Amino acid sequence: MGAMTVDRADGRSANQLRPLACSRNILHRAHGSARWSQGDTIVLAAVYGPKAGTKKGENPEKASIEVIWKPKTGQIGKLEKEYEMILKRTLQSICLMTIHPNTTTSIIVQVFGDDGALLPCAINASCAALVDAGIPLRHLAVAICCGLTEGGSVILDPTKAEEQKIQAFAYLAFPNSPLSVLPSVPSAEDDGPIENGIITSVTHGVMPVVDYFNCLERGRAACAKISEFHRRSLESQVPGDLTKAT
Amino acid sequence: KRHRPLRRSSICFASLLCSYAINPQETLTSEMNAETSDAPPTSLVDRTVVPGDTVLDLTAMANQTIKLGAGLRQDCDTISVMKAGKLRLSKPNKYWVESSHKRYVPCVEDTVLGIVVDCKPDNFLVDIKAPTLAFLPVLAFEGGTRRNIPKFEIGTLLYVRVVKANNSMNPELSCMDETGKAAEFGQLKDGYMFETSTGLSRMLLSSPTCPVLEALGKKLSYEIAVGLNGRVWANASSPSTVILVSNAIMNSESLSGLQQKIMVEKLMQRLQ
Repeated sequence: MGAMTVDRADGRSANQLRPLACSRNILHRAHGSARWSQGDTIVLAAVYGPKAGTKKGENPEKASIEVIWKPKTGQIGKLEKEYEMILKRTLQSICLMTIHPNTTTSIIVQVFGDDGALLPCAINASCAALVDAGIPLRHLAVAICCGLTEGGSVILDPTKAEEQKIQAFAYLAFPNSPLSVLPSVPSAEDDGPIENGIITSVTHGVMPVVDYFNCLERGRAACAKISEFHRRSLESQVPGDLTKAT
Repeated sequence: KRHRPLRRSSICFASLLCSYAINPQETLTSEMNAETSDAPPTSLVDRTVVPGDTVLDLTAMANQTIKLGAGLRQDCDTISVMKAGKLRLSKPNKYWVESSHKRYVPCVEDTVLGIVVDCKPDNFLVDIKAPTLAFLPVLAFEGGTRRNIPKFEIGTLLYVRVVKANNSMNPELSCMDETGKAAEFGQLKDGYMFETSTGLSRMLLSSPTCPVLEALGKKLSYEIAVGLNGRVWANASSPSTVILVSNAIMNSESLSGLQQKIMVEKLMQRLQ
């Protein structure tokens, strides 16, 4: 862990996230919708479903999820298809697929602005939209981007300019920290409490293994904060309400 | 004012009997402070819960029957939350999560408004905003025989009751009540249907009468039918009354009782 302070262009410290904002129930026709922004990266997710019928290749004994990614400009290409696949696998692991068999839930992700950490922003927005639509979930997914600078120090939530300069970065998605009436049991069993799990990890660039584990630790700690923000934004009852956090 | 008989919203419960070893866990006494201490909360009842929260520990409740409603599921030894909302408890043992959405999860004995999408020889296929289409048997009408099957066109609005609701099968509906009488079920003619959320439907059906309906009833004469699936049908003698009633109901979702009365008065002044 580098003890030196990293100079970031917008004056943030290494562990500081950009301002988060989340508003739900903004689209009139969609069954659930959410708009999540981290600084200038803004993503709008809309959920339709569950609707009857599954696609041809899918298992009819389970619900299926379909993701459509719409970029801000340009045609849909391989990058969008890759994002769709990653998002679909992430959301499949948090949705309870056996509750409504033989149904399809469609999630449409529209990118409004891309200033770094686009996929984590999309994961957060889709998760908020799924909660807004009332799709049964096992837990929430909270995602963050961790970058690794040349000095070996980890910066959180890099902007696009920072992403292009640093040697490697990772998109990480963790389960949210739940409230529980159970006393926290010291983990004597093999699999610890749910906060220690990880749902998705997508890395770009080359990084040593030790630094990757550093990123995981920092990312997990930051996700606890994001999950707290998510919980607060769900506590406001008024539909279409806007909650902000810095 | 004449309105359809108020139907109490019913919540579908699955009962589970837990019989565990006799030693209960120690009672938890401290409230949780989110930042500093890590003592867990005693109870999450009447608080907003988020998917993943654990609300009940079954090992602490030996030999009790607990009934779970919407939004909760059993996960080995604990009860955890599937949907975000407020956790409610109805003594002694019914737990559910109260939330409001645009889609509907069918429950037995709910009264809903459906739209016919297809006619088959044995059933009408009816859309009730559920994950799957619902079936309305052709004979599920008072005095229904093979000779007098009602002829519903596609797009007909019906006020029906849910008879069977299972996650793995299409729900089944009926236009009769338990005793076999028609009891206001059936086709709704004229009027205007609009869609709302399930939470607003429950508020309109709550007793004592919802403030917005009372305020409207003082000056206007109208009739409404509220479906628990988030559909409301309104009818009155003149179109302007229908529009006023529909707008008042649609605006009343996030308002308190007093705000609803003020809103209705403002709308009525515009009519004069």
